[in-house]
Amino acid sequence: MRVLALILSLVAAPAMASDLSSEITDQLILPAFEELTADAAELATAAKADCSPQSGSLRAAYGNAFDAWIAASHYRFGPTETDNRAFALAFWPDSRSKTPKALGNLIRSEDAGISDPVKFASHSIAARGFYALEYLLYDPDLSTAGSPDYRCALTRAISADIAATSQAIAADWTERFAAEMRAPTRRYRSEEEITQELLKALTTGLQVLDDMRLGRPLGTFDKPRPNRAEARRSGRSLRHLLLSLNAMEPLALALAQQDAGLRADLSQSFEKARTRAETLDDPVFAGVADPGARIRIEALRQEVKDLRAIVSKRLSPSLGVAAGFNSLDGD
Amino acid sequence: MTSRRGFLTGVIAATLAPQASWASARNPAFLSAGRDGAGNFLLAGLAETGDILFRHPLPERGHAAAAHPIRPQAVAFARRPGRFADVIDCCTGAALARLEPPAGHHFYGHGVFSADGSRLFTTENDYDNARGIIGVWDAADDYRRITAFSSGGIGPHDMALRRDAPGLVVANGGIETHPDSGRAKLNLPDMRPNLSYLSLDGDLQDQMELPQELHLNSIRHLAIRADGTVGFAMQWQGDLGEQVPTAGLHKPGGGPFLLAEDDPRVLNMNGYGGSTAFSADGTLLGVTSPRGGVLQIIDTVSGALLHEHKETDICGLAPAPGGFTASTGTGQLLTISETGLTMLQPADLAWDNHLIRLS
Repeated sequence: MRVLALILSLVAAPAMASDLSSEITDQLILPAFEELTADAAELATAAKADCSPQSGSLRAAYGNAFDAWIAASHYRFGPTETDNRAFALAFWPDSRSKTPKALGNLIRSEDAGISDPVKFASHSIAARGFYALEYLLYDPDLSTAGSPDYRCALTRAISADIAATSQAIAADWTERFAAEMRAPTRRYRSEEEITQELLKALTTGLQVLDDMRLGRPLGTFDKPRPNRAEARRSGRSLRHLLLSLNAMEPLALALAQQDAGLRADLSQSFEKARTRAETLDDPVFAGVADPGARIRIEALRQEVKDLRAIVSKRLSPSLGVAAGFNSLDGD
Repeated sequence: MTSRRGFLTGVIAATLAPQASWASARNPAFLSAGRDGAGNFLLAGLAETGDILFRHPLPERGHAAAAHPIRPQAVAFARRPGRFADVIDCCTGAALARLEPPAGHHFYGHGVFSADGSRLFTTENDYDNARGIIGVWDAADDYRRITAFSSGGIGPHDMALRRDAPGLVVANGGIETHPDSGRAKLNLPDMRPNLSYLSLDGDLQDQMELPQELHLNSIRHLAIRADGTVGFAMQWQGDLGEQVPTAGLHKPGGGPFLLAEDDPRVLNMNGYGGSTAFSADGTLLGVTSPRGGVLQIIDTVSGALLHEHKETDICGLAPAPGGFTASTGTGQLLTISETGLTMLQPADLAWDNHLIRLS
């Protein structure tokens, strides 16, 4: 509803980029990171109260906090990039299985350093964040490996670290970076650059859906890779795609500003992708390996590609952003 | 267009008269191909400040360029699979020659002069035979083609003069293409990129291959340091999202030193190294990724990734006093040094992939 009000407020007169970016910052970005901070704090509290992998309250808190990260994760600039915070929350894709290796090493060695938050934060990024915690809660091997006490301490350390990192991102946003988004000062040279950063958040977010969340498990017809589905151990692969679509739609509509036709087409395209996803009934994209089911996942990917095409062919030019001369060249 | 006789007279005059030097072309610091707002392709000479000293039209999209070491002549190479390399008099703007590869070949977009300026070397595709070729041209005789030899692999792209010994180092990207199939990649399962060290007569003196698990990492662009160390940038042809290095260092006789391998930020490159350069003092290697919109700066001793700079469509990269100068497809030119980032004179042009430093 707030987004609708934002869009309506922009219909009256062509907005200055600073108005647009201020609205997006206040109504979309800051609330997304506030939500993440609150949910991550609850995750840390839940882990403190009950660190068992089977704990219903811990798993619920984990799910809520992970949801909040996915809904904020397309804002990959500024505060998320300082000190590699985004990777510390979410090291994925992990093509070299660094996360299970790092966790296995910790559990075997019972490295006592994990109980010190500062020391833990200096550990391999692969042993931190939501994907590492997923192994401790849902992986049949790592959730039962080594001593239960050490795993408990590790679960608490990762949860507390997620809370601290989320808090650091949110604080950085409110104290420093929100002002950068309202008007060009230090980080951005012009209002156009601010708008382009927001557009890039959308285009990169959609690219992640296409190439990573769907493309990696789909692989090729001859070599599907169901084990590459994101967060499949906790059954969250499809959920992440939906969360991300829902989080990016208001950003896309806000960027379309007063172009009613473009807004309608973007809405429709998001809706088509969402409908495909909701009717898929395959939470971890296991169907990629079944020719009959695979075609439906490929159709979902096509909807995402269609959405990307609207953004690149219509939304980007409307914001004065041409397709990259070099990025499209490939040489 | 200059007649052959007129051009030859010019060459003779150039060798006798002191005035025909890079100084008379106002000493450009860089060459770069580009595209103007009307969609015309060109080669430009730039001052250290970013001011454009000359523009020369090109028939199609260019790629890299080469500067003659003595005479104020630049060669603009067509982007692959193009078939022109235009030699330009940077004082008068005259078109001195247009090189065309033999039938069955196309250029890859890069080339280099010998240290004395007598020869020009070009990377070429002998596409019916799927062979990488180095074409050799006589820069003292109207850029006549003299000979050609094997590049040491498939898909030679960037090439540099060695600094530790006479000879060439060639980035054989390993990817087979044929103009009949456009830019389609025909041999990915079997590709084997390499760095080949060749004598100026084409004898293969040393060759570096990547470990088998990185055979899909096409070695494409080069930088060379005064001590002969080669910096190379790679382009991953495997699945997106794999954590693979985009840059490495090599010295003849050794193995590759892959850079920033374990830093998660290599994922920000989208598997694509677009250009690479050493910093002016040689302590750092920079690698750009227009697909990631990022320049990464790596310590050449530790291999650690020190800094990232985000910039839309950044690609061209060259050494500059205090660090690097980079160019973007949005017409920006910027310097990056220890004291930070400085925007130079922007242009109403899209700067193409490479920024070529004149020494």
